[in-house]
Amino acid sequence: MKRHLWVLTAVLMSLWLSGCATTAPPAEPRELIFETPPELTLETAVALLMERGYVIRHADGELGRVEAVLARWPGYNVQLSVQGEDDTSRVSVSATRGGRPLAPQTLDPLLVDLRSRLGLFL
Amino acid sequence: MRHWPLSLLLVLGLPVLAGCQTSPSVLPVAEPAPSAECRWSSDTASVRDRMRRAMEALEAEGFTVRDTDPVLGLVSAERARILHGSGDLYDPWERTSLFGGYGFGGRGGFSSGISVGLGGGYGSVSRDATRLERVSLVAAAEETRVSRDSQLIDWRGEVHETRSASDADFCRRLREAMQAMPAEEASS
Repeated sequence: MKRHLWVLTAVLMSLWLSGCATTAPPAEPRELIFETPPELTLETAVALLMERGYVIRHADGELGRVEAVLARWPGYNVQLSVQGEDDTSRVSVSATRGGRPLAPQTLDPLLVDLRSRLGLFL
Repeated sequence: MRHWPLSLLLVLGLPVLAGCQTSPSVLPVAEPAPSAECRWSSDTASVRDRMRRAMEALEAEGFTVRDTDPVLGLVSAERARILHGSGDLYDPWERTSLFGGYGFGGRGGFSSGISVGLGGGYGSVSRDATRLERVSLVAAAEETRVSRDSQLIDWRGEVHETRSASDADFCRRLREAMQAMPAEEASS
C-alpha cells in the first residue's frame, strides 16, 4: 500500500510540473461581427486600445491587422484583426499575458466598449 | 501516518498550482491612464504630413521609427538609452577590484568567472542597465493620439521595471515640436 502511494505521488507530481512547463498554446481569439465598415471598425479599435494605454507596435491598415502591447508585468500583447467589406466587419481579438494565452472571455469588455463606441447597442 | 506523502503534496502542490493559474478576469489597462495631453485635435495638415512631422520630432529626440502605416496614420518608434553607472544598482553582488572582477548569484541565475587585467574598476561598464521607451502616435483624421511605455532592462535582459509612460510632459513636448515644424520643412 505504501509503495502504491509513492507511485501515485510521483505520477501526480510529474503531471503538475509538466503542466507548468509545457509550451504555451496559441491564444484563442474572440470573434464578433459588427455592422460597420471595416475601416471605421479598425480605426475605432485602435483608438480604444490607445485610450487604455496600449502602445501600437505594428499595424497594417490594408490588411486590417494590429499588434499592441501593455507595459504591465508580466507584459500583455493584443492581436487584433478586422476583415470584411461594405458595412460588415469581422473582428477577431486575442491576447497573451507573459507569453501565455488569456482566456477569450477576458476580451469581452473590450469588444462591448468597441460595439458601444461604434454606435451599436446590444 | 501512512498518508503523509499525499498531505505533503496538498500542502506544497496547491500553492504551486495557484501560482500557475493566476490570471486577470478582464484585459488590463494602463495605470495611470494616459494623460489628456496625449490626445489633441488634428490640424488641417494631411495625415501623411502629420506622420512626417511626428517622425522628425521623434527622431530628433533619439527615437528610431520601427513601423508606419499611412492608412491608420501610425508611427511606432522606440528609444534605448544606456544608464551609465547603473550596473551596481541592478547587480548588487558584483564586486570589482584593481585586477578585475568577480561575481556570483544575482536575480536571474548563477554566474561565475575570473577576469584578470588592469582597470578592473571599469567592470560594471558593460553591465549598465538600459531604459527602453516605446511610443505610438496615430494621426487620425480628427484626432492625434499618443501612447508610450518605459522599461528598465538589466544587462542580463531581465526587466526590472515596466510601466505606462503616457504622461503630460512628454506628450506636450511632442505636440509642440510637431506644431512648430513648418509643413514645407517636413515634406522637404
